[in-house]
Amino acid sequence: MNPNYELPLDEADYSFGFLDEFAKREVRRTILKAISIPGYQTPYASREMPMGRGFGTGGLQLTLSLIGQDDTLKVIDQGSDDSVNAVNLRHFVELTCPGVNTTERTTEATLIQSRHRIPEVDLTESQVLILQVPYPDPLVVVEPSEAKRKVMHGEGDYSRLLTKLYEDIVQFDEITISHRYPTRINGHYVIDPSPIPRYDVPRLYRSKALILLGAGREKKIYAVPPYTVTEPLAFDDVPFRTEDFRDANGHRRACGRCGATDSFLDELIAEDGSKAWQCSDSDYCNQRLAELAQEVSA
Amino acid sequence: MPDNIRSVGADWQPPSQQAAFRQIMNCFAYPGRLGQLATEAKHGLPLLLATLVDRSNRLADPHRLLDEDEHRRLGASPGSPEMSQFVVQPGAYPPDFQPMLGSLENPEQGATLIVVAERLGTGGSLHLCGPGIDGTATIAVQGVDPSWWQKREQWNASFPLGVDMIVVAGCQVLALPRTTRIDLKGVN
Repeated sequence: MNPNYELPLDEADYSFGFLDEFAKREVRRTILKAISIPGYQTPYASREMPMGRGFGTGGLQLTLSLIGQDDTLKVIDQGSDDSVNAVNLRHFVELTCPGVNTTERTTEATLIQSRHRIPEVDLTESQVLILQVPYPDPLVVVEPSEAKRKVMHGEGDYSRLLTKLYEDIVQFDEITISHRYPTRINGHYVIDPSPIPRYDVPRLYRSKALILLGAGREKKIYAVPPYTVTEPLAFDDVPFRTEDFRDANGHRRACGRCGATDSFLDELIAEDGSKAWQCSDSDYCNQRLAELAQEVSA
Repeated sequence: MPDNIRSVGADWQPPSQQAAFRQIMNCFAYPGRLGQLATEAKHGLPLLLATLVDRSNRLADPHRLLDEDEHRRLGASPGSPEMSQFVVQPGAYPPDFQPMLGSLENPEQGATLIVVAERLGTGGSLHLCGPGIDGTATIAVQGVDPSWWQKREQWNASFPLGVDMIVVAGCQVLALPRTTRIDLKGVN
């Protein structure tokens, strides 16, 4: 986005939050139904946004329907506040919601819109996490017809999905889904928790914060309410497991920047082919660095 | 029962509705907690409806809790309680209708029932559990006929089908989504 671009407010008279009030009201009604039926992909009339579908329009419509002048918004993309998607979405909200605060600190935010990560710091009851979703239906890999998928979801029939996981085990000795891991919510609906890594899936379990998921292109909103039981699909003898950050000697790799051994790490490959690891959550990494600097100076 | 539920001008303004929605959403996310609708009106019902209902919905108000002017402002199509997405009812009267429960494919089409109570925080206690509740929660509701809770249990017997309830008393709101289970032993 051109940094000098300004919405023509005088001519178009955009309302606060860009969306008109009818659109917001529809999204709000959908959110309430999504919370009431945990994990159910509630359909809504996803509006055209001034950006391409697939760039977080679902999450953005949720954010714009929720946000008020006393909110503080944090937008992250793969854990980072500074990547293109996050910067553009944050800039758009700043343009269309005058008076709203934005932050990079997880703990200061009341609304957190995220693409593909859940922040490292545990969220609180006063926060809402909004996840951008590209493909909301986990059954799409086994059933092409949406009408049939809706019946399967309603009946809680995930046998074909479990068969797919079983076939993975037979072929590769483990379930090969690295992200978008199918997760059952409150014992009924199975959701695609957006492309968060496996590492983040257990953090949906009994989360203190409400988690809303918005798929703009697919026109679906669903929710994981707070204090709700979530279970990644697995088998008794092949339990769910998260990413393994241990090196060849069995030591847990540390972030090359802040030294954290308890965070999700991105693998960086340098020009000479050497590898380094760094926290995916940039705010978490920065806060640790600041704390370490304080300890050194004290 | 308040016989004169009227809105004030600010109830129809986007900032009031945004603030009201956050309260209502919080109530749905954490059933058993009370939300406070910020309005200068004597009753929160018009703001609640203005926040959620518009001309794309069907609204039933068989007991005429809102007058003609308020309905005109909302713009919702009038409907019977059996066929409406939103149903407003006084809690003092036992429910005498069968609301929409949705279908297996489209459970979101289950109705939202808005029950007007006398008071929240005092009266008979309800013990709640389910998603959004850390363990159990207790909430006192006054002015809602106990048969509402029995009917609600029947309507919500086959998840995902069911109804979602909002109890409003004055400017306080309580939400009972269909996943919230009420222990009916203590209800009388």
